[in-house]
Amino acid sequence: MNHAAFIIPAYVLTVAGLVGLLVHSWLAMRAAERAADEMRKR
Amino acid sequence: MHRFANPARFLRIARAVTPWLVLPGLAITAAALYIGLFASPPDYQQGDSVRIMYVHVPAAWLGSGGYLGLAIASLTALVWRHPLANVAGRAIALPGALFTAICLVSGSLWGKPTWGTYWVWDARLTSMLVLLFLYLGYLALSAAESDRPEARGAAILSLVGTINLPIIKYSVEWWNTLHQGPSITVTKNAIAPEMLLPLLLSVAGFSLLFAGIVLMRMRTELATTRVAVRSRRLAEAHA
Amino acid sequence: MKAKHQRLTLAIGALVALGGAGALGLSTLGDSATYFYAPSDVAKKPPAKGEAIRLGGLVEMGSVAHAGAATVAFVVTDNAKTVPVRYTGIVPDLFREGQGVIAEGRFDERGMFVADTILAKHDEKYMPPEVAGTLHKVPGTVG
Repeated sequence: MNHAAFIIPAYVLTVAGLVGLLVHSWLAMRAAERAADEMRKR
Repeated sequence: MHRFANPARFLRIARAVTPWLVLPGLAITAAALYIGLFASPPDYQQGDSVRIMYVHVPAAWLGSGGYLGLAIASLTALVWRHPLANVAGRAIALPGALFTAICLVSGSLWGKPTWGTYWVWDARLTSMLVLLFLYLGYLALSAAESDRPEARGAAILSLVGTINLPIIKYSVEWWNTLHQGPSITVTKNAIAPEMLLPLLLSVAGFSLLFAGIVLMRMRTELATTRVAVRSRRLAEAHA
Repeated sequence: MKAKHQRLTLAIGALVALGGAGALGLSTLGDSATYFYAPSDVAKKPPAKGEAIRLGGLVEMGSVAHAGAATVAFVVTDNAKTVPVRYTGIVPDLFREGQGVIAEGRFDERGMFVADTILAKHDEKYMPPEVAGTLHKVPGTVG
C-alpha cells in the first residue's frame, strides 16, 4: 500500500487547521485590540 | 486565586507572553514535522505510515489536555466566580475541538494502511469521538448563553463531560480494543529514541501554539467586551 | 466566603456523584464495550451457533498456511488457548506471524473460525528496522 497517500493528507490537514486557526485568532485579536485602543483615545 | 482577577494585569502579562509562545511554537513545530517527515526512520512493522504519529499524538494530547483545562476553567468559574475563568474556557474550546478533530482524522488516515480500516467502533475511537461532541456542545451552549453572563449551562456541561477523560485514557486497558495500549507510561518507553525526538518536539511545539492561540482568543474577547461596555456607557451619557 | 464554600462543597459533591454514576454505568457496560474476544474468552463462553463475533489475539508463529489463491489459514493464540481461522481475501499489510490480529466471522460446525474480515492490530512498540533486525536475532525479544 502506498503510504504517502495517507501521510500527505494527514500532514496537510493538520498544518492547514493549525495555521488557519492561528492566523484567524491573530487577525481577530489585532482588530479587537485596535478597536479598543481607538475607543480609549476618543 | 484573584491575583490575576484584574483583567488589566492579566492583559499586561498576556501581551508580553503571547509572542514567546507563538514564535518558538512555530519554529519547534516546523522542525518537528520536518524531522518526522524526512529525517526519521520508518517503523520496523508499519513502514513510513508511522510518520502520521508526529501529528496524531500531539493532537490527541491537546484535545484531551485542552479539555482538562476547559473543565478546570469551568470549575473555577462556577465555584470562585473568577472573572477570567469563563473567558479562558471559551478560548480553549475551539482549539481543543480542532485538535480533537485532527486527532480523529489523522488517526483514521493512519488506521487504513496499518489496521486495514479507517474506523471501528472500539472503546478508544468512540470515546475520542464523544470528546469532540462534548467540545461542540460546549461551543454551541456558550454561544447561546453569550448575552447572559450569569448563565452556567456550558460550564456545567463541560464539568459533566470530564467523566470521559479517564474513559479515553484507560479505554485501551479496560476493554479489548483495536487501538494499541500506551507506548509511554511512567515506567516504560516503547518508542526508539530517533522517533521519540520528533514526537516530543511536536508535542512541545503544538502545546506552545495551543497556549498562544488561547491567549490570543482571551485577549480578543476582553478587548471586544471593553468596546461593548464603553459604547454602552457613551450611549447612556448621550441619552 | 460562606457562599464560596457552599459552592465548593456542592461542586465536589456533584463531581463525586458524577464519578459514581460513571463507574456504575461503566460496570454495566462491561463486556458489551469490548471490541473482540480472545481465544480464552471464547473457550469460557462459546458464542451461539452461527453468531458473528470478533476474535482477537496473536497470529501463532509458524501457523500461517496458504490454501489456494486467496485463502489463508492460521491460528490465533492468546498464549493460553488457540483457535484455528480460515480467511479468503486480501489481508492487511501488517498481517504477519507473531503480530496482533482481529478476525470478524463465525465458527463453523467443525470448530474452525471462518473470517470475512481481517484487521491487523499492532503493538505499542515503535523502532527502526535496523534496531528490530538486531533484536530479532535474540529469539523472543520482539513479539
